[in-house]
Amino acid sequence: MIGTGIKRGTAELAVLSILEGGPMHGYEMARRIEQETKGALRFTLAALYPMLYRMEQHGWIRGTWETSSNGRRKRCYRLTPAGRKKLSPLRREWAELFRALQRLTKVANA
Amino acid sequence: MPNWQELVRQLLSGLALDIAERDEIHAELAAHLEESYEAFCAEGLPQREAVERTLVQVADWQDLQRKILIARRRKQPMQKRVHQLWIPGVLTMMLSTIFLMALQKLGVQPRLVGNGSNGILFYAPWLASLPFFGALGAYLSVRSGGLLGTGLLASVFPAFALTAVFLLMFPIGTAIERVIGIPVDFGTVATALLLDGFDWILIPGVALLAGGFLVQFLFNRWSWSKTGRLAA
Repeated sequence: MIGTGIKRGTAELAVLSILEGGPMHGYEMARRIEQETKGALRFTLAALYPMLYRMEQHGWIRGTWETSSNGRRKRCYRLTPAGRKKLSPLRREWAELFRALQRLTKVANA
Repeated sequence: MPNWQELVRQLLSGLALDIAERDEIHAELAAHLEESYEAFCAEGLPQREAVERTLVQVADWQDLQRKILIARRRKQPMQKRVHQLWIPGVLTMMLSTIFLMALQKLGVQPRLVGNGSNGILFYAPWLASLPFFGALGAYLSVRSGGLLGTGLLASVFPAFALTAVFLLMFPIGTAIERVIGIPVDFGTVATALLLDGFDWILIPGVALLAGGFLVQFLFNRWSWSKTGRLAA
């Protein structure tokens, strides 16, 4: 299980990366992140939405109300060009950090 | 099944954001809780446990409210104030003034109620028009996301602007007194201001405010029904 501090730092990267695959609403986003990280990253409602709103204010993502197939109205988030632009340096920074940690701790797959 | 919409509305009742923005957040979070609850039910959890597991997602609603506010308040406050207060307020003032000037051009005279210098001028057709102008100001403010107070302030803006002009007479009088050397009788000025204030500020202000309140009332009813539809 990954510690809280690292999780907080990776949260934005996780959201931007998952939205790169296409628009989705908050609940689906949390479920997909949990599935794809095999439970290592879990977003509760309390953690997810303040972050989504903050990212929306930054202009990295944009939320719009859409009606799903079962007729329910949901707020779907999609990556904006600014968000896409933010994603690649963020990925690079995290990759560098992991490599550095790997060298430092001699832990394989850090 | 709990009414998630109502639950979120109550738990995040102190979310000091624009009405539309607050309703959207309530609807979005309620939809998330509802989906979580349904997923737990689909896993075979009894209703009670599903509700508990769903609510565990938020340990502290006050803290969540604070975090949402911090995240959402990053919008440029000056830009918001211009759209929610200054533009609707100035427009209300301009339109009400233009209408008054038009009435005067058409020769519509005010009615003097009371006697002599203590009488109060009633510009009935103008006063009758003010609730509409007040309603327009409040509508424009609310449409831009203004809260109840901002909408009412926009509707009553002409009265405040006139009050400011009236109050400016005191420092202007003092300046005239010093520069020209002519003493100004502030007692007479104050009496005149009080009387004129009643005719031109208080009564028109109440008329403008009536329009503002009407719009707020209608908008609140519409907003409640809209949120209900979102949650349905």
